[in-house]
Amino acid sequence: MEFAENALQMYTDVVDSTIITYNGPFDAQVLSIIAENIEYSLSNNPRVSKKIFKIFIELAQNISYYSAEKQVNEEGNYFGVGILMLREFKDHYSFSTGNIIESKQVLPVLQKCETINILDREKLRQYKRKLRNMPSGVPGGGNIGLVQVALTADHPLEYDVINLDSEKSFYILNVRVNKS
Amino acid sequence: MENLEIEGSHKNFFIPTVSFNARTGICQISGESFLEDTVEFYLPLIDWVDEYINTVKGPIALIIKLSYFNTSSSRSLLDILNLLRDYEEAGGEVVVNWHFDENDIDMEEDIDDYIIDTGLEINKIPL
Repeated sequence: MEFAENALQMYTDVVDSTIITYNGPFDAQVLSIIAENIEYSLSNNPRVSKKIFKIFIELAQNISYYSAEKQVNEEGNYFGVGILMLREFKDHYSFSTGNIIESKQVLPVLQKCETINILDREKLRQYKRKLRNMPSGVPGGGNIGLVQVALTADHPLEYDVINLDSEKSFYILNVRVNKS
Repeated sequence: MENLEIEGSHKNFFIPTVSFNARTGICQISGESFLEDTVEFYLPLIDWVDEYINTVKGPIALIIKLSYFNTSSSRSLLDILNLLRDYEEAGGEVVVNWHFDENDIDMEEDIDDYIIDTGLEINKIPL
């Protein structure tokens, strides 16, 4: 399986590797702390730092909105729970996220990822413009965050879904950004 | 008609600085846009532009100097630009100047997408 080989390749290519790992609710404070950390850690490469930052915000917001596992904060607001990793490799950075989704969301999520990956850059921009003219807030539908992630990363998405039980699955996404 | 002034900040969320002038028609949005409730933040901006177009009916210049905006802000920016496009089509005088860091290729592409989307002439001004 290609994904497993990629994972092995990543493991062996890793340079001093992990910049950020986080597992928990994606609330505003957490987003802010991680965003600051990214700006600080990658300040020697402003172009890439900006890309990583943009991708982070969209991935984190996706988990916050669409994770099927929620946690409530002191103010009574619900935030999605998930895991996020940012790692550095020789020639690229890699974001990995994981979160639980409802099984009925598996097909729309996979279709969304697949659609993004088969489109070339021009078609992907068209797709983004089309979605932006549609109402937001429909999971896997009007959401343009993931399309923007693929455009910003300029790499296909790597993704997988692991079935947990009849109602829940675990959705894994990997996004690569070249250093130059 | 009153001016609209919002002081920006860069804390948990990033609030853009907004300065809409009812006398001159010069409307500037600068800084970064990543908000807790994007629709709630942009609604007064959209309402202001709508009121200006319908009551003052003067020339309007939108100056955007955002170094970052998330996708949900990008929808609200589209709403404002669509209002201006409609105003221009109805005979209004509209100028849109979009300042961007010339090293930010993604931003230039974003501006091009707005040009295609709205049909407005947007002046791209590299810094």
